[in-house]
Amino acid sequence: MGLILREKAEYLATFRWLEVFLMETLARWVPTTPEMEVKVLMGRHIWDAAQHADALGKRTFELRAPLHYTLAPLPPYLGTMKELASVEDTPGRIQAVYDVILPGLASRYQHYLQNSDSLFDEPSFRVIEGILNDYARMRKECGEVRAELGKALEADSSRMQQWSREESVTTRIVVHGSGPTLAREVTA
Amino acid sequence: MNASAKRKTVKGITLCADPAREPCFRIAQLDDEMQKFESALSKDAMRERLHRHMNNEMGALEIAAQCLADFPESPWELRVQLARQAFDESRHVHALHRRLRQLGGYKGEFPIGNFEWAVTNMCDTLAARLAIQNRTFEAGQMDLLGGLREIWRSAGDETTAEVLEHILADEINHVRFANQWIRKLVQADRRLLFKVASAVRFLAETNSAVSDGSGPSSEESPAQKHIKLGINVEDRRHADFNDDEINEILRQAGMSSLVSEGAKV
Repeated sequence: MGLILREKAEYLATFRWLEVFLMETLARWVPTTPEMEVKVLMGRHIWDAAQHADALGKRTFELRAPLHYTLAPLPPYLGTMKELASVEDTPGRIQAVYDVILPGLASRYQHYLQNSDSLFDEPSFRVIEGILNDYARMRKECGEVRAELGKALEADSSRMQQWSREESVTTRIVVHGSGPTLAREVTA
Repeated sequence: MNASAKRKTVKGITLCADPAREPCFRIAQLDDEMQKFESALSKDAMRERLHRHMNNEMGALEIAAQCLADFPESPWELRVQLARQAFDESRHVHALHRRLRQLGGYKGEFPIGNFEWAVTNMCDTLAARLAIQNRTFEAGQMDLLGGLREIWRSAGDETTAEVLEHILADEINHVRFANQWIRKLVQADRRLLFKVASAVRFLAETNSAVSDGSGPSSEESPAQKHIKLGINVEDRRHADFNDDEINEILRQAGMSSLVSEGAKV
């Protein structure tokens, strides 16, 4: 059996937390990243992450949870995200977002789609399919900036592989069943 | 440490330290460190204007982004507007950089200043930052763009004029949402009025400290240049300034004779 209604709301609330986290991470990095083209890239994608969080937050309400219901992920994944958000150098920041976080989240969104039903949960499917399309565009735009800046963004591939392993090793990220019975009773 | 928490001192005034820039940029702390030209319509002067504008848009992007980082508890709808602003300012930087290169310019060709960032991030409330950055600096830019696009057109550069038209359209939205949210935030907490008023006074003091004194006395100050280009009454109205506010701006700009006329535009 796939996800029940409440679990769907919890998944989407966790995805919303991750999109807000991405938005805030990019926002914090814009003034502290020297390269102008990278600031522009991140500035563009702040808006993408905000739109994703907005759409997910509206969908949680339709699933009988609070409007903009938001759940932090389980501690191991939270720790990985915080570690990635603490990267200081520009090539590392680019790797963290575009080579680790976005592909990792894309795979988790795909997993959600595989475990939900495309008829009853079609509105969520539409939201997530839109997010996945955006991720593909965001990574393409990052590729263009990498091509433009060349050596300035060359990075340590072993570090990226290690981060990817850390991101993917955590299979469970969603907090289920804590708090009140109905998600709607929880304060967002 | 947050980027907005670092400090620098300019002419005895404590300001927020500069945001990160590539080594190719030379950062000016005072107006008279910026490059000056005998003719404002020379090719070098026109490129300098684009270069300066590009850096100002980068600053606007950084300020909107820093607001998202510094005020996570602000209303979600307002955060979405700030995120949208970050997207718009990013596109402005990109468009101005592209146009600068088309005209033979490049990043770092002229000195830059980060005055807006330095002043705005001294405010510890979102309402005050919106009042300084969006309602004052960006609204001022609306006035400037209203005049500058015609200057570019008169110089035969329709392409740059069109770039400025698009930027102006976006800026109106940024000023409008700020005006609307400042009213809402102040209604919910009247103490914010004091914060906003203090921020406006701090801006005036800082502005006069960094722009007067050491420069040649015959040169026009940025405020004088601004007044010469006029107040963009129509777009200020689109940006949700009311008649009283527009009249006050005209009075402050020494255009009292236009007050009743301006109110009818």
